[in-house]
This record gives sequence, structure tokens and C-alpha cells, in this order.
Amino acid sequence: MKKAIIGIAVAVIWFAVVISYTVIATAGKGDEDGHEFTVLTVKEETVKDYNTMPVFKALAKETGKDVYWTYNTSTQYSNNTDPVGLSGIDAIYHSNFSNLQLYNYGSRGRIVAIDQYLKYMPNFSKILDERPDIWEALKSPDGHIYSLPRVEEMGLKTHPNLLFLNKAWVEKLIDSNNMPSEVSSLTKSDLVDGLTLKRSQFKAILQKFKDTHSESDIPLSFVSGCWQGNESDLIASFGVPENTQHKTIVDDKIIFTVESENWYNAIKELNDWYNKKLIRSTAFTQTQDEFLAKGQDGRYGSFYWWEKETVVSSDLQDDYIMLQPLVDDATGKQYVGLSNELEIEKGACVILSACHDKEGLLSYFDKFFEPLYSAQLNYGSIDSGAFEKQKEGEKLVPNDDHGAQSADDFRMKNAPYGVVYLTQEVWDNYVEMEPRAKLRLERLDVYLQNNAFDNIKAIPNLNYTKDELDTLHRYENSLGKNITSWMINKITSSGSPSVSDWQSFLKTNGTSISKIKEVNQRAYDSYLEATNSSN
Amino acid sequence: MKNNSVAEMTAEQTLSENDLLIEQAYEAMANGGESPTEIKNTKSPSKWEKWKQNFKRRGWILLFILPALIYVFIFCYGPMYGILVAFQDYMPGDKIIGSGTQWIGFGNFKTFFSDPNFGTYFLNTFLLCILGFLVGFPLPIIVALLLNSVRPKKIKKGLQILYYAPHFISLVVLVGMLKLIFGSDGLLDQLSIKFGGDANGLQLFLKPEAFRPLFIFSGNWQDFGWSAIIYLAALSGVDPALHEAAKVDGASRFRRIFSVDLPAILPTIVMLMILSIGNLMSCGYEKVLLMQTGGNLETSEILSTYVYGGLMSGQYGLSTASGLFNSVINVALLVIANFTSKKLANQSMW
Repeated sequence: MKKAIIGIAVAVIWFAVVISYTVIATAGKGDEDGHEFTVLTVKEETVKDYNTMPVFKALAKETGKDVYWTYNTSTQYSNNTDPVGLSGIDAIYHSNFSNLQLYNYGSRGRIVAIDQYLKYMPNFSKILDERPDIWEALKSPDGHIYSLPRVEEMGLKTHPNLLFLNKAWVEKLIDSNNMPSEVSSLTKSDLVDGLTLKRSQFKAILQKFKDTHSESDIPLSFVSGCWQGNESDLIASFGVPENTQHKTIVDDKIIFTVESENWYNAIKELNDWYNKKLIRSTAFTQTQDEFLAKGQDGRYGSFYWWEKETVVSSDLQDDYIMLQPLVDDATGKQYVGLSNELEIEKGACVILSACHDKEGLLSYFDKFFEPLYSAQLNYGSIDSGAFEKQKEGEKLVPNDDHGAQSADDFRMKNAPYGVVYLTQEVWDNYVEMEPRAKLRLERLDVYLQNNAFDNIKAIPNLNYTKDELDTLHRYENSLGKNITSWMINKITSSGSPSVSDWQSFLKTNGTSISKIKEVNQRAYDSYLEATNSSN
Repeated sequence: MKNNSVAEMTAEQTLSENDLLIEQAYEAMANGGESPTEIKNTKSPSKWEKWKQNFKRRGWILLFILPALIYVFIFCYGPMYGILVAFQDYMPGDKIIGSGTQWIGFGNFKTFFSDPNFGTYFLNTFLLCILGFLVGFPLPIIVALLLNSVRPKKIKKGLQILYYAPHFISLVVLVGMLKLIFGSDGLLDQLSIKFGGDANGLQLFLKPEAFRPLFIFSGNWQDFGWSAIIYLAALSGVDPALHEAAKVDGASRFRRIFSVDLPAILPTIVMLMILSIGNLMSCGYEKVLLMQTGGNLETSEILSTYVYGGLMSGQYGLSTASGLFNSVINVALLVIANFTSKKLANQSMW
């Protein structure tokens, strides 16, 4: 009996401890009391506390607003089903809300329609006046703007793939007199950035790579479906403006690339490349990190990626050269598609309806759009050494030298990102782009110089009605899955896909494809109308 | 009540009936000495009265089921009002019943059923679960029967531990192991290339047709030993005298399994079968999600992963609707299974 009582007592005490711990842990978090505003941001532990960042101190000094920054890590944040319901916060920075979420929260009055406060936001309203496309991009189905945007226009994101070739391996082939007949005229002096190869020549080189290297070396690699370094440009080389969504605009018409016969030809050819072991199945299963880890010691014969600097270790950089897009053997042209990754992003910040002084907080955030603040938010504070010392009135130049720390690491820790407005005008007058971005732009100039597609556009942020949003949700999810699985299955199967395979695949998904096209076309037409009429 | 699994209840009731009869007999004797049976015939108290009397005397015993009842109501029935979300355009933070609730009737169901892939998802779920059931249900029974006829105790114990040890591997680790063995550049592919197979290996994780076998066999490998425990427990209750008698009659070992052991655990088998048919359409989404690749989506996208996808993209109403649909099918299956078993085997849950 005594033992039982002790047992029960222990259990009771244990429960009490657990419960009181959870109560304390959930209740007494943060010291947001006594501040004028509290803003929740989403950041990783490694990023410095926003409250200590000089840029926010400068903002507080200039605006006279007392903003306290609290944070969630991205994991915590994504586990929270209702971040807007959190008590004690006035706004969410890096909210990352989708179109549907913004509209649902906005139409329920739980987040603020920012367009109603434009008179307190001189910078933002000027941007909206000058840029109808931004207004159009931010608008919800009910015509309101529910979030502040992030605008970073460098012209980089629409082309997330560059093709690199292992020069050292090709040199070895030349040295050993082992060059395939298709490229027999190639000499070592030809192996420089901007080399142009036909697809058949490239394939022949890959085949030699495969034949002369061990299993652990990979002739061609990429990360299928990833926003950067995917197979889209390889498929596009067949003359179809491919991107990871298989959806683009040609002559102001929304099209699906999968409907093009060139797309089918590309899949058929990739199947052949796969069966010849020029592409491995890992290209379709690996994550970015796995891809990057494998590339460090120069195991790739060639690869598609944003840049070579992150893929290959620093001592092997010279082993790789950038190729121009592969030349289509049939037409003799180079084709590169456009990704739908946008440079105008919604959801960078939302204001909660519970905020007691919306005008005040929005006038604070309005400052973020000023070039000098945008630059600091994007690269790190001036006072923390993010920029080189410059004289009054000179452009800000991002500082590349942070001692033992790499420029990337420094930026990750010191820059809050989020709401910024960096456009060509800003690059011309206030801030230099960072060296990496400039290098990539130079490379893109070479990469895109012969692009035969001059009638394609990326799909902008379109403005759908509620019904259209529902339709898209209904069809897009399953269509995306069907295309991905068909494509990967056909590329990685031992037999070549037949025309009838492809046609029956199109037939099965015909309804989805035409519904999505219809909705997008309607929205795009009214987008065109809105942006043209206000110009 | 012929149900064995509720044998205790039956015994309890018989006992109380006897008690009652004896009491009545004493009363009757006190009244005039007639025989108890006669009294019963002349003055039989109605069922209700018997129950009432019984309740007065031993009702407090019912208190023992109170904690379980409270638990079930708080955690199982309490949250059920949430299924109303299936009929709403719901956002977290909305009141489930309130002035601002946006009712949309069967809108979510319409969206769900008109999804072009609905048929595929449904079929995938059904096939994955029914195949899993067909393989996974008999396996532990066979294993238990075989284990039970292993004589040396040490070997029996050893085998049993060996069989149920995989149960304690976490899902993530299990799928990690699967990928190391069957995935791209995995053990199997390396071996098949070494021995002159297809140059690209088998790539089982990219093949839609390999998903179900991989899922089902890995699941059963993990759980057959664990599921066998309940049958082993039932088998331990078999009277050794029956075995002795069968031996004397010259029954072989195999014959004894069929004629002594199997009938003994039949009620357990039927009960577990009804229960697992009730869960037929719900084979957890976690493992499916972990095993999903772009290549095997064709067979690996099932209703529960669809629900998960909906939740992730903030479509709470749609997810609830498809979850509700799944549950309704499960309940229907349960009722059918119970009814069939009642008719055919005279075994049922209610």
C-alpha cells in the first residue's frame, strides 16, 4: 500500500512538473512588453538578432518608432497553422503567404489591406504609381493589397541554369588522342568560357567521359525540378521554351511545353542519354545538398547550375568552363527558356489587424523601400562593414572581404533580407551589385547572346478571381504530379517512349491542361490590359 | 451472448442470475416453503427489474470504466465537431460554428471528387491497403503457429525476439535503410551492375510498379513478429490435455496445428480481422510520403498523402473532406465485415 502511494505521488509530481513546464515555456516567451510595436520575423538561429542590427537602429532613430523584433525559425513557423492568430505581435516579416492565404486572411479582415494606408507611405505609393505591374502583381482577387513586396530586379532569376564542362577531362581526351570524331577538330585553345557545341557533339564527349571514367564519375548532372540547375535548358535545346512548371508565354499566349512535339523528342533523347549512362537516376532523386556535396572534388564531367563557384571546390574552379547553350542539330539554333521565378515577390511582410497603430507601423516599413535601407537590408548594415568605405554621394559597394568569413556567410548572418526595392535605377545610382551577381550577369550575356527565342515571356504574378484560384488549386496540383512522374518514368525506363505513349499522356491530362491554360490566359489578358492602360 | 472475447461479462451475468435465483428462493422459503423453480415460474421479475436490483447492489463497479469513458469522450468524441470543417471554407483562426463561418455545403467534396486524379488516388489507396492486408494478415498467424510448435524454449524465445526486433526501428530509419539497399546507387543496384545487369541498375525507387511491393514487404518485415505476439498469447491458453489427447489418437504435428491450435485462436483471428478491415483504407501517410519520389508518384500518391498536401497548402476544408470520405469508407467496411462474420462464423463485435 505504501509503495502504491509513493508511486501515485511520483506520478502526480511528474505530471505537475511537465504541465507547469509547458505552461511556463509557452506563456513567458520574449520580453515584448513595453515596446511600441512587436514584429515576428522568420529567421534561422545563425542569423543575428534583428534588434542588434545597426540598420534597424538607424531606422528606429530616423522614424522614431520603437519596434521590437521577435522570431521563429522556419521550422517553428511552418509548424504553426495560424501564425496570424499569435497574440502580442503587430506584423509578420517574411510571412511567405501564398496568394490564397493572403486573400483568405485579408478577406476575413485578419490582416490589413495596405492600399488603404498609402497616404502614410510616400515611398510605396510612388512605386505603385510608377510601376503598374507591381500593383497588378500584389493585388488580391478583391482588389486589395495585403502584403508588402520584395522587389530585387537583377535579371538573374529568369535564367537559373548555366552549363559547365570539365575542361580538364576534355584536355585528357585530347592528350590521349581519344577525342570522338564529332569534335575531332577541337583543340585545347578552344576550351574557354563561351565554347559552343552542338548537342550531338556534347553527347559524344559525355559518352567518352563515361567510357574512360569509373562508375563514381558522372558525365552530366543536375537536380531535376529544382529552381536552379535543372534539366529545363537541356530540354529547351530541342526548341521548346521549357521550365520546371512546363508553362510559359509564347506570343502572349499561355502554353504548356509538354504539348509540343519538341518536348516529346527531348524526353525521347534524354531516355537514350539515360540508358547510355550519361545521366544517372540520381539526377532525379538527389537534393541540392547531395548534388553540391558530390561535385566538390570534380566528379562531374558537366553540370547545370546557377554558377560553378558553389558546385566545385575553390582549387578546381579552373577545371570548368561555361558552355553556351547546346546547339540544336536539327535547326542549328540555340534555345533557352524562361523560368517563372519572379523578381516581384508577395508576402514579404503582412500587418495584422490587431496592430494598434497601423499608420505608424506602415510608415516605418515604408522606409524599407528607400535605396540606402533596401541595400542594407539586402547585404547587411553599413555600420557592420557590409560595404566598402565610400565618400559622401558615392555608390555603395558591397564589401567582399570579411577576413576568415566568406562573403556568403557574412551576408547570411548580417542581412535580414525581406522587404526591399532594388531596381535598375537603384543599381545605377545607389548600390553596386555584389561581385558574384555581376559575374553571373556577364556570364548570362554570353549564355544568352544567340538565344533564338525572342517571343517568350515568363508568367508574371497574375491576379485571379476566387473561383479561378479554386480551379487552379484543383487542377495544378495533380497535373504537376502527373507531368513529373511521366517525365521521370519515361526518361528512366529501359525502353524508348513511343509517340502514342505521349499522346495518351496528353489525352489523360487534357482537361487539366486546357482548364489551367484558360484561367491563366484570362488573367494574363487582363494583366496586359491593366499594365498597358495605366502606362 | 456467445462471444468468447466478452466471456467475462457473460460469466458475470450468469453469476448474478444465479445469485438472484438463490435470493428469490430464500425469500420464497421464508414466505411459505414452496420450491424455488415454482416461484420462478409464477413470479418471474422482468428483465428491467432484475437489472435495477443488480445495479443497486453492484452499480459502483461501473465506476471502473469511468476513466476510460472520459478519455474516449474527451479525445475521440470531443474533437469530432471538427468534421464540420469539411463543409466550410475554413482558415485557422475561424470559428467552427459562429457568425463568421463560411459554409459552402458540399463544395469541398465536389472539388475533391472532381480532381482529375481522384480515381487514381482512390485506386492506389485501395490496392496498397488491400494488398498489404492480404499479405500482412495471415503472416503473423502462420508465424505464431510455427513458433508455437518449436519445442526448445530457448530457440523459441530467440526466434521471437529476432522476429519482433525490427518493430522498434523508426520509420525514417527504416526508409533510409530501404533507400540504401534499393535506392539509386544502392546495394542492390551495385550488385546487379557487378553481375552484368542493366547498366543503370534496377532503380526500384523510381519505378511505380516497385513501390507497392517495397512498401508492403518492408512493412511486414517490420511488423510480422510484433503482430504474432497476440496470437502467441492466445495459443498459450490452449489446454495441453487437448494436445495429449490428439497425440494419443495418433495426430501428426501438422494435424495438431490444424485441429487443435487453429480452432483455439480462431476467435482472436476473427476479431482482429474485423478490426483491421475497419482500418483497411487508412495505411498511414508518413511512410508513403517518405518513400515517394518523382518517379513512383503514379502509384505512391494515395488519399492520405493528398490530405497532407492539402493541409500543407492551407486547404483545410478540402483535406478534412477527403479525410472524412476515407473514414466513412472505413466505417462502412467495418460494418460489412462485422455483419458478414456474424452471419458466416457467428463471431462479431456487436
